[in-house]
Amino acid sequence: MAGVWILAESREQTLELLSAGKSLAEQLGAKVAAFATSSQLAQEYISHGCDEVLLLPPLAADQPLESYVPVIVEEALLAGPDIILAGASQRGREIAARIAASLNTGLCSGCTGLHLDQDKKQLVMERMLFGGAAVQTVVCPNRPQMATIPPRTFEQAPLVEGYKGEVRQLPAAPPSRVTVVERTPKTSEAVDITEAKIVVCVGRGVEKKEDIALAKELAGVLGGEVGCSRPVAEDLRWLPEELYLGISGKKVKPDLYIGVGVAGQIQHVSGIRDSKVIVGINRDENAPIFEAADYGIVGDLYDVVPKLVKELKAALKI
Amino acid sequence: MEEEKFGAIIVGAGPAGSTAAYLLAKEGLEVLLIEKGAAPGGKNMFGGRMYSHALNQIIPDFWDQAPVQRAVSKETVTFLAGDQAVSLNCQDLSWVSPPYHSFTLLRAEFDAWLAAKAEEAGAMLACGIRVDDLLIKGGKVAGIIAGEDEMLADVVIAADGVNSIIAQKAGLRKKAPEPHQVGTGAKQVIKLSAEAVSQRFGLSGNNGAAQLFVGDCTKGMQGGGFLYTNKDSISLGLIVGAGQLQKNKYRISDLLEEFKESPHIAPLIDGGEVVEYSAHLVPEAGLSMMPQLYSDGILVTGDAAGFVLNLGYVVRGMDFAIASGAAAAKAVIAARAFNDFSKQKLSIYQQFLKESFVLRDLEAYRGAPHFLEIQRMFKAYPQFAAGLVSKMFTVDGSPPEHLMGKALSHIKKSGIGWAQLAGDGWKGARNL
Amino acid sequence: MPKIIACFKWVMDEADIKTDAKSRQLVLDRVGYKISEYDRNAIEEAVRLQEKHGGSVVGITVATPSAKPCLKDALSRGPEKACFVNDPAFESLDPSQTAAILAAVIEGKTEYDLIICGEGSSDLYAQQVGPALAEKLGLPCATYVNKLTYIEEENRVIAQRKLDDGLETVSIKLPALITVLPDINTPRIPSLKQVLGAAKKPVDNISLASLQQSFEPCLKTTSILAATMERRRLKFTAETDDIRKVVDGLLKEGVIA
Ligand SMILES: Cc1cc2nc3c(=O)[nH]c(=O)nc-3n(C[C@H](O)[C@H](O)[C@H](O)COP(=O)(O)OP(=O)(O)OC[C@H]3O[C@@H](n4cnc5c(N)ncnc54)[C@H](O)[C@@H]3O)c2cc1C
Ligand SMILES: Cc1cc2nc3c(=O)[nH]c(=O)nc-3n(C[C@H](O)[C@H](O)[C@H](O)COP(=O)(O)OP(=O)(O)OC[C@H]3O[C@@H](n4cnc5c(N)ncnc54)[C@H](O)[C@@H]3O)c2cc1C
Ligand SMILES: Nc1ncnc2c1ncn2[C@@H]1O[C@H](COP(=O)(O)O)[C@@H](O)[C@H]1O
Repeated sequence: MAGVWILAESREQTLELLSAGKSLAEQLGAKVAAFATSSQLAQEYISHGCDEVLLLPPLAADQPLESYVPVIVEEALLAGPDIILAGASQRGREIAARIAASLNTGLCSGCTGLHLDQDKKQLVMERMLFGGAAVQTVVCPNRPQMATIPPRTFEQAPLVEGYKGEVRQLPAAPPSRVTVVERTPKTSEAVDITEAKIVVCVGRGVEKKEDIALAKELAGVLGGEVGCSRPVAEDLRWLPEELYLGISGKKVKPDLYIGVGVAGQIQHVSGIRDSKVIVGINRDENAPIFEAADYGIVGDLYDVVPKLVKELKAALKI
Repeated sequence: MEEEKFGAIIVGAGPAGSTAAYLLAKEGLEVLLIEKGAAPGGKNMFGGRMYSHALNQIIPDFWDQAPVQRAVSKETVTFLAGDQAVSLNCQDLSWVSPPYHSFTLLRAEFDAWLAAKAEEAGAMLACGIRVDDLLIKGGKVAGIIAGEDEMLADVVIAADGVNSIIAQKAGLRKKAPEPHQVGTGAKQVIKLSAEAVSQRFGLSGNNGAAQLFVGDCTKGMQGGGFLYTNKDSISLGLIVGAGQLQKNKYRISDLLEEFKESPHIAPLIDGGEVVEYSAHLVPEAGLSMMPQLYSDGILVTGDAAGFVLNLGYVVRGMDFAIASGAAAAKAVIAARAFNDFSKQKLSIYQQFLKESFVLRDLEAYRGAPHFLEIQRMFKAYPQFAAGLVSKMFTVDGSPPEHLMGKALSHIKKSGIGWAQLAGDGWKGARNL
Repeated sequence: MPKIIACFKWVMDEADIKTDAKSRQLVLDRVGYKISEYDRNAIEEAVRLQEKHGGSVVGITVATPSAKPCLKDALSRGPEKACFVNDPAFESLDPSQTAAILAAVIEGKTEYDLIICGEGSSDLYAQQVGPALAEKLGLPCATYVNKLTYIEEENRVIAQRKLDDGLETVSIKLPALITVLPDINTPRIPSLKQVLGAAKKPVDNISLASLQQSFEPCLKTTSILAATMERRRLKFTAETDDIRKVVDGLLKEGVIA
């Protein structure tokens, strides 16, 4: 069955893509199908307006999720979907890239927006370029047209009373050459930084892990949360990965973002672009953060932050 | 390659270093040119105009291949005083036909080109490497040290710019230059369309304009502003005596922003995008800051030797750098004939410099730096000139006054004493 | 003794890219180039494996001829040979093309046990070429690897993948392809001797013609527009009254209370 396919690891993302896929399918007068790994999920997707669910049989314990690739490719060759929307989780990105390669079609990775060009019946897809310095618009003459889409790009599809759809069982995945020897699920207590109204972001300008306390105090006074730049989470491992902002991290839209010792490289700024107000604290007057800030304070964070805390306490009568 | 020994190691791929490397490589020496930047010229800056004569000696008709921006046909010096600005304007079209008098250019592309010429000639270029120290053997410079690595050479040429650590390590200069010996420069490259540039400055074809500014733009501190037209951008900046800048607690970047907003500049750059900002020091004390130029196994060239002439209405450094780099190369070649790179043999460098314009011109303007240290030059006189001339052109029904009278009243206004005026005039006549 | 191929890309330094707010065009005439950030990690990992287990490392890149300077840079980071697949037509390639070209070059022509790519290229950051290349070469692959060990006697690798929901350690028999995260290692800064050595290392030049294939893009770019952002760009000093001004400003904006 041609139409729009939804392929995502998590229930949430599947429902998000379902809402996007549904509207595309309607414009194309086609149906929307989603992949599921359990019949219970299958039913849920249908109840949210999915016309068909392609049910993937469980994998062996030592098989990674990517083992489904050959199954999905087979099915795509048979059914010839017009569009495949995949969730841009890390596994999702690999799976999509390999499917696109096997099907000799294009893939718009990290697609931030899409719409249908009605007369050309063509998907017009947007993505970021140069770390977010530019927006690239692409179309794909080949079929299927594919995109990987970051979480929370769309609202989840709502329940549709008594919606009818069919479930189709797919063949089991062949044995895979990649075998999983260990899994350590994330047990992180990290807050959802994307919910925060105020974000105080620490960069590599902070000299010691302990000094993050400075940012914590500032965030405390403002009732905000502490986030960080990628190297602080990834290279230094001072804060959990969930807290880093940017093109490859979390995208935030707080009322106020305060960068403390953050250079403000484009890949970071891409993640904070939609902040209402941006404040940058950096001792290098030519740091790029000042280009992206409403209020730039040129100075040593160890001098500025305490002063700022003091002034805020005074102003907010804390 | 542990045992590898170079004929010459040149530290710094600016105009001085690349010129020396080019000439030595052409002579068939094993040359190693070391640059700390990721690419030659990447981080280098200057105002924007190079006088052609020096490079034309080395690479005749270089303009046919070098990435130059515009050939300068118009020179302007402007005195700024509040609402008033008076300019001395000169156009000479002989400047824009071979041998061109001067070109505006951008260092990133020009330095890269010159270094590439050295590479073509056979020099080995190593970028992204900072030379930390000199290798001394038996009291002679025997090579360089960069990080873990040592590299041997018959002779080392220090072309590492105004703060030359190499000259210091060699003991040819006591320490980094003093604030009163250097100017702090800041510059922005502002992008416009080629048409806009030509039209705003009344330039035909690919002709260019060079403008210098004295007065308000430095808040009366020693120094001045400069503006050079590139193909489709403008190089705009300031040079201010580092000492005075410190004393008065000004930030050069703030001064530059003010300069940009001044009514005399704003319209020229209106609608342009700043695509580059940079700051750098300029040697200004001329001969008085010149280190010893050579010693056993080492020579010092370009800014590292303080070879810059900043007269306010001309800033010259590139041509000195190129000519001194060439003189260094000649000296090495001469010494090589005896396979003796001792101080005595290398002393011929001094002689080559004297024969070239380098030391001659610096000698000629020996007094200029002190002359330019006179505060009046940058506050009182601009006010005087601007005030007087604008008065000349002002018709407002007030009773006429003879030019001399006008001059007198303005001399009074600007608070210049007669003795000073006469003295400065005389010094100026002698020095400039 | 693994034969390793490290894939690297020569990209514009995005820090040099300026944008013209009005026309929303990118101003590229003053950009420098560099080896894509995370490809330095790819090269570094390959070289570390080679230093530990012997074998060989070839650095390969697909680019226009103008990218020649990338060879010295890459080779100074440790590979013993570079493979420069270049043609004027290889301008702004789509990841599917790049993968196809790499596959065409590697298939049959180059011996290898392991191919290492970066997580994503600094300019496109499509995170595609790695897995796509694996698919085209019919190789097993592991993406987002931040720990890699090679088991000589079994000619296999144990790779730790860092994924959204946790760590996943996988075992793969070579030949295989992996893509590495930046935290897998800290790339070395080439020393003077390494830079000089690089100039003496061999380079295979491979032209489009010699591949006797054409490579069409799967994606067509219809526009590239600068992402602009309206910001006030007010600057303040660390002086207390300046900081007070900032606080007042934030109060007025109503973003703090
Ligand atoms: C493909 C790709 C994707 C990327 N994705 C992301 C991403 O999603 N998020 C992200 O953040 N980065 C990302 N990066 C990395 C990004 O390019 C930058 O390297 C990174 O954001 C820099 O982090 P930083 O500003 O904390 O550190 P630095 O760049 O080291 O900056 C530290 C800053 O602190 C200042 N400073 C130092 N000391 C003080 C002091 N005492 N007081 C005040 N200021 C001080 C310095 O002047 C400097 O500006 C990505 C890179 C690539 C190539
Ligand atoms: C604001 C300003 C405006 C100017 N305007 C003009 C003008 O309009 N016309 C003009 O002719 N001159 C002008 N000058 C002067 C001119 O820029 C210099 O005189 C000229 O650049 C000197 O060349 P150089 O090769 O001696 O030194 P530089 O050009 O400074 O080159 C030195 C090189 O050495 C490298 N280096 C330094 N240390 C090391 C190390 N330890 N290891 C390896 N490499 C190292 C540097 O990266 C650099 O590439 C101006 C200067 C300034 C600051
Ligand atoms: N032109 C290229 N030449 C060689 N390798 C490349 C090229 N483009 C991408 N790669 C490799 O593929 C990885 C992912 O690139 P991308 O899919 O563009 O994000 C990079 O980190 C490189 O290792």
